[in-house]
Amino acid sequence: MTTGEKKLMSISVVLALMFCVPQTVSAMHIMEGYLPPAFCIGWGAVCLPFLAAGIIFIRRLVQQHRKSVLLLAMAGAFIFVISSLKIPSVTGSCSHMTGTGLGAILFGVPATSVLGVIVLLFQALLLAHGGITTLGANTFSMAVAGPLVTWGVYQIGKKCKLPKLFNVFLAAMLGDLFTYCITSVQLALAYPSAEGGIWASMAEFLAVFAPTQLPLAVIEGILTMLVVMGLETYAKTELHELHGAKRGLFK
Amino acid sequence: MIAALLAGLIFLSLFAGHLPPVWLAAVCLFAMVLFLLGSGHHHDGVLTMDVYARRSKLCKENAVFKTAVSVLLLILCICSGSPFLPIGLFVFLSVVTVAAGGIKLREYLSLLGLPAVFLLLSGLTLLWDFYQQLPSDAVLMIPFFGGWLAVVPAAQSLSMLVLSRALGAVSCLYFISLSTPLPEILQVLRCVHVPSVVVMLALLIYRYIFILLATFRNMKDSAASRLGYQGIKRSLHTTGMVYGGLLANSFKRAGACFDAMESRCYTGQMIFLTQKKKVTYKILCLLGFPVIGMLVGIWLL
Repeated sequence: MTTGEKKLMSISVVLALMFCVPQTVSAMHIMEGYLPPAFCIGWGAVCLPFLAAGIIFIRRLVQQHRKSVLLLAMAGAFIFVISSLKIPSVTGSCSHMTGTGLGAILFGVPATSVLGVIVLLFQALLLAHGGITTLGANTFSMAVAGPLVTWGVYQIGKKCKLPKLFNVFLAAMLGDLFTYCITSVQLALAYPSAEGGIWASMAEFLAVFAPTQLPLAVIEGILTMLVVMGLETYAKTELHELHGAKRGLFK
Repeated sequence: MIAALLAGLIFLSLFAGHLPPVWLAAVCLFAMVLFLLGSGHHHDGVLTMDVYARRSKLCKENAVFKTAVSVLLLILCICSGSPFLPIGLFVFLSVVTVAAGGIKLREYLSLLGLPAVFLLLSGLTLLWDFYQQLPSDAVLMIPFFGGWLAVVPAAQSLSMLVLSRALGAVSCLYFISLSTPLPEILQVLRCVHVPSVVVMLALLIYRYIFILLATFRNMKDSAASRLGYQGIKRSLHTTGMVYGGLLANSFKRAGACFDAMESRCYTGQMIFLTQKKKVTYKILCLLGFPVIGMLVGIWLL
């Protein structure tokens, strides 16, 4: 073989390996015990202000509008259920949604971060996705950073008067992508590569998980759009109730 | 199948240069066969782990003690600097979960397969690194875009440590989640003064999960019987509509639930009846041994 042929061969082998990873693909939870102690504590600490804000928000909401605790609990259970169910996907692998983007669009970032941390704990204990020591890191990527981006994109899109459904799709998709980038950053920071340092290691993690995560983000966007569409047809009163309660809180 | 190939590749890169070729091939083949047998991840029961936990013989033990010791073991496990301690912990806790807890070995192995894909993929990136010039001590290499993808001994020992820590930690996690039902773990959270609104929310979420799953199953079956999952485009559409319907349905149920609670004098507080369980000698011995072992091990190594 010539050098060119060898190169072609090796690239195709690597690509074939990368694109044929079937089985469970959840939105990249870092598994139990994967991060060194310092990172577990550090990422947990980063999440604390968001969680505190969320708890204060929910406490006030519950005091003024008792029914909302049930709506929030239902939303949390919904996020857990859709994140544990298989969704149709292109590559033949079985993948799951994160659902936190939807939460951010419907309830805002603070409430979503608290729901997210509960759901992540449940996922660790009931589904073995993620873990207790990596709860902080996973919370930051999935329940804080992703929802923040989703919410931000959604608000900007609203200002720019994008069509609502397209806006929801875009926000959910970008939120999911951002979650995946943050997870790669977290992994790279914990385990930088020997020669290229953090950046090289990040590129590697991004590349290895890309074939599963990129289609997943698009599917998540489409599904979130469809869910919002369904909600507007069937549960308009409940949505208004929740928005009304939220607005009353900040008067 | 592909996971088995990946596992073989990981073991090849992990032990290359440390074992003679025959042994290396044997280890890789063994890993591949293990993965072929262990795979079989199914989605029928989303809450299989919850069922196992309630069926476990260790379910009768004190939840606070079990949770506290498992968390302590978890911390010790990720702090350990040698790969042997976590592997020892993994073996011990797996035996405890299977033998003392009464979980079937096959079920336990198929649960272990769940985090395996993440472990394999990220293990791959830890082991293989890109180099401009081929390092002198590389044990495996592939030419790649004018440079080299290679495995060096330092990466091997790091991956070994990371993989063993992850394995040990997963066994701790499985010990707790396969021996303690979730509501009891949530009661432990109340003991450590997690805000009560969060614990209440979590308990409610746990209860609603069952309702939503049952509703979802009905919706999915009726959609499938109307050929809703034919082809990728239509099945995406159906999935979205079913999820939307599920959320709308769940909000309506929350309304009905609130009315029912209101009529039973709900004041914003929810207290569930909990059973008191004593710390028995059995669990004290079962969990005391690994804690002492880990502490001594970390001190010595």
